[in-house]
Amino acid sequence: MKKIVLAEDNSMLSMLLKFRLEKEGYLLLIAENGKETIELIEEHNPELILTDIMMPFVSGLEVISHVRNKLKNQTPIIVFSASGQEEIVLKAFKLGATDFMSKPFSPNELVNRVKKILR
Amino acid sequence: MFKNNYFIDFFENSPIIMQLVWVFIVMIIFFIMTTIAYLKYLRSFLRKNENLKNKIEKEFETAVINYLYAGNEIDEVSFEQKSIIDQFKSNTSEPFKRDILISTLLKLNYEISGEMAESIHKLYIQTGLLDYSLSKLKSRKWNSIADGIRELTLFHVKEVQDQVKIHINHPKTEVRIAMQLYLINLFHFDGLDFLNNITTPISEWDQIQLLEALQLNSNQRVTSINLWLKSTNNSVVFFALKLAKIYNQYGVRDELIALLDHQNIKIRIDVIHLLSYLNIIDAKIILKNKFNELTLEEQIAFFEMMENLYEIKDKPFILEHILNPNFEIKFSALKILKNLNIEEFNCFKNLTLEPEFVRMVKYIEAN
Amino acid sequence: MISIIHFLFFLYSFMIIGSYITLGIISVFETVAYTQKNKFVNYNKILSSNISPSISIIAPAYNESLNIIENVRSLLSSHYANYDVIIINDGSKDDSLEKLIDAYNLICVDFLINEQIPTQPLRKGIYKSTNPAFEKLIVVDKENGGKADALNMGLNISANKYVACIDVDCLLIEDALLKLVKPFLETTDKVVIAAGGVIRIANSCVIKEGKLLDVNLPEKMLEKGQILEYLRAFLLGRMAWSRLNGLLVISGAFGLFDKKIAIEVGGYDTNTVGEDMEIIVRMRRFMEEKKLKYKVAYIPDPLCWTEAPDNYKTFISQRNRWTRGTIETLRKHRKIGFNRKYSSMGTLSYPYWFLFERMAPIVEVLGVIYFAYLIFYQQVRWDYTIAFILLAYLFTVLFSIAAIISEELTYHQYKKKGTGFKMIMIAFLEPFVVHPFILYAAIVGNKDYYFNKKKKWGAMTRKGMTKA
Repeated sequence: MKKIVLAEDNSMLSMLLKFRLEKEGYLLLIAENGKETIELIEEHNPELILTDIMMPFVSGLEVISHVRNKLKNQTPIIVFSASGQEEIVLKAFKLGATDFMSKPFSPNELVNRVKKILR
Repeated sequence: MFKNNYFIDFFENSPIIMQLVWVFIVMIIFFIMTTIAYLKYLRSFLRKNENLKNKIEKEFETAVINYLYAGNEIDEVSFEQKSIIDQFKSNTSEPFKRDILISTLLKLNYEISGEMAESIHKLYIQTGLLDYSLSKLKSRKWNSIADGIRELTLFHVKEVQDQVKIHINHPKTEVRIAMQLYLINLFHFDGLDFLNNITTPISEWDQIQLLEALQLNSNQRVTSINLWLKSTNNSVVFFALKLAKIYNQYGVRDELIALLDHQNIKIRIDVIHLLSYLNIIDAKIILKNKFNELTLEEQIAFFEMMENLYEIKDKPFILEHILNPNFEIKFSALKILKNLNIEEFNCFKNLTLEPEFVRMVKYIEAN
Repeated sequence: MISIIHFLFFLYSFMIIGSYITLGIISVFETVAYTQKNKFVNYNKILSSNISPSISIIAPAYNESLNIIENVRSLLSSHYANYDVIIINDGSKDDSLEKLIDAYNLICVDFLINEQIPTQPLRKGIYKSTNPAFEKLIVVDKENGGKADALNMGLNISANKYVACIDVDCLLIEDALLKLVKPFLETTDKVVIAAGGVIRIANSCVIKEGKLLDVNLPEKMLEKGQILEYLRAFLLGRMAWSRLNGLLVISGAFGLFDKKIAIEVGGYDTNTVGEDMEIIVRMRRFMEEKKLKYKVAYIPDPLCWTEAPDNYKTFISQRNRWTRGTIETLRKHRKIGFNRKYSSMGTLSYPYWFLFERMAPIVEVLGVIYFAYLIFYQQVRWDYTIAFILLAYLFTVLFSIAAIISEELTYHQYKKKGTGFKMIMIAFLEPFVVHPFILYAAIVGNKDYYFNKKKKWGAMTRKGMTKA
């Protein structure tokens, strides 16, 4: 089973996405902040990382930077951003993000992109 | 008994001010006792409430997610969904639980779009929450009205716009912004029509909210903003300037240039920045010709424009200002000079030994 | 003669009590209005907006090596789209700078400073990160000049519209900037020149990764007493002054300023230990003299958590400093006092501060001395004395309980079972356990101000705590 780390501080959204993606046959590991995310990534070495940009203490940008620069790891990363954060999204791409989705997004669309990446 | 009498005698024999003091003391002791009792009640009430709220929240969250995944292709509402709706319905009569249900639905509603968002909107109507929101619109309390409009906005109830629009000139800003956000969230640019008639100011905070709401819309076709640029309501002008920038409105060039003579200095400065952003070179020529009539702030804004739009023929003008007493202008002028003609920059860089000038030259040379 | 003295003491006490009650009542109304108005504000929507105005957080640091990495990280994770963080290393003698360079991949950069306010010069220079994830961070290494001087350097460096001046060891809640910038953006009929929020005491609270996880009531009487004191001051005092537009101080631990005006008045005064109060008074004075409509805003949300002194020695020296700061500011701007040209600031705020903040400890000590004199000459009417002391004491207790109740009704931060009882105990004990030390510190502060000028200058290097 392919592992996905999901970093998202809205518990309801992460529950929803967990249900949805586990139905597609992935294993979801959920973190509520950036630090937990990094710990999960280091421990489980997932196939895909989904992360919100605005997170307490360690931001999504730092998560990307950590994966690409410290872990030297090319795991695909999809970032979630709010509308109007274009500049931050650009930074995320500069740091090595694979794709981004702007909130509010459609969970079905997310599933499509996940499937495409993990095919 | 003896003791009692002693106190009464003592009290009666005291001067009036002392009697007063004793009355106060007894009153305060009474107050302290009641407030302590109240505090005790309040704390246990709050604690109970919070625990209950957390519990219900968890229940509702799970139920909502179950509802979202319980749909099937055959029925519009599956059997399982129907039972979840009924469960919610039995709860909505209590205001406490109703508020929790609404906030649960919203928690997800802010983050997702598409089919699932539509299912949530449907759930809002099916559980009867819509009727409660509508009844709030008729309330006499402004915060209920604002709250009701806000719910209708978030659950995309377009059909009731007439009932919402009544509040266009409500005396409370909170109600007005709720109404404006309703119009923009649901009708996008068409919702902006209210700008034609609005006489009350729209605060900067509210303008940001409106622009954010506009940007959520995928259709970015802007309606014409000319009228708003000419509005007598300054906040509408500011808002239109922001629209012009975000949606690159080159078409309103003439209106913008006319605004360079607006009596409000902040508008004039915003216009200079905008004209520079839109690369409207005619504006530069106009401003250059009346540079000395401008206020300092406008002059600084103009030099920012200059950095963006300089041409070789501006060189004499630039040279006039490399010793301008203002830090920003001097710095701009030197930077432009270096870009225009490096030899001439080198020629003038030893013009004076004034330390600020020397620091600037050094900085510009290094960067 | 004697009766005149008595009358004056009574008058003073009743005026103090009366003003407390009035302020308390106004505060309650203002707080209710605020919560009603902001109940449904969706801060999430705005925080992401690029259109939101730019803010610089300016945090001076002096020998903070122990926690600096964590503190900076916490500042960098504020929920706001358009801000930067300027750390001013004010001549620290420890390895703060090296630690920062290491943790945040900093390199020295070329930077042109517009020296609008004179400050101590740079030491090693200005640093920025090579990692885009820390793009918001600017670290300035300068020669030591004290907190005010460091803040002035930050004002010179900031390119943003607003500046948030804070203590580096403060814990800001995530949407603090957003909540504090709101008054600036929503006021349409006046200029908001500065805004402040509630400071809470973080002693014994659980803080992990820059986030407040659990709020606890500390064990020590001194700490608990200060918590109660802060509740009273912030919930029942400041809110009313904000309503009356009469705030004379915004806590140096966290305040947001209009940068342009702050620079126009000349920045922070480096010659006072009460720079946080002084700059507000000066900015207000400037606006009054220019006859511009303005406001100093204040919001009741707990935005910033800070460690309060946990031993009497630090506590007394902190209060000593506050006392001197108040005296210095009031003296420097004595022209304002009782002067109708300065509208409510001259006729209301200044007199209140002068009579009930600055003079209160002195009046209290005079009272004690007079009482001792009466005892000595055996002229004490014990029945009167007991009645009045009892009245004053009970009033203080009632006022504290009112503060606790308004905290419960608004933010309800101390949720644990049993805390309510403890809080009431403090309300009863605080007048004996903490108040005498406050009085003592204030008297020493007065003495130091008038007779010990050297101390005044010697204390310029920054200490952790600033006036709440």
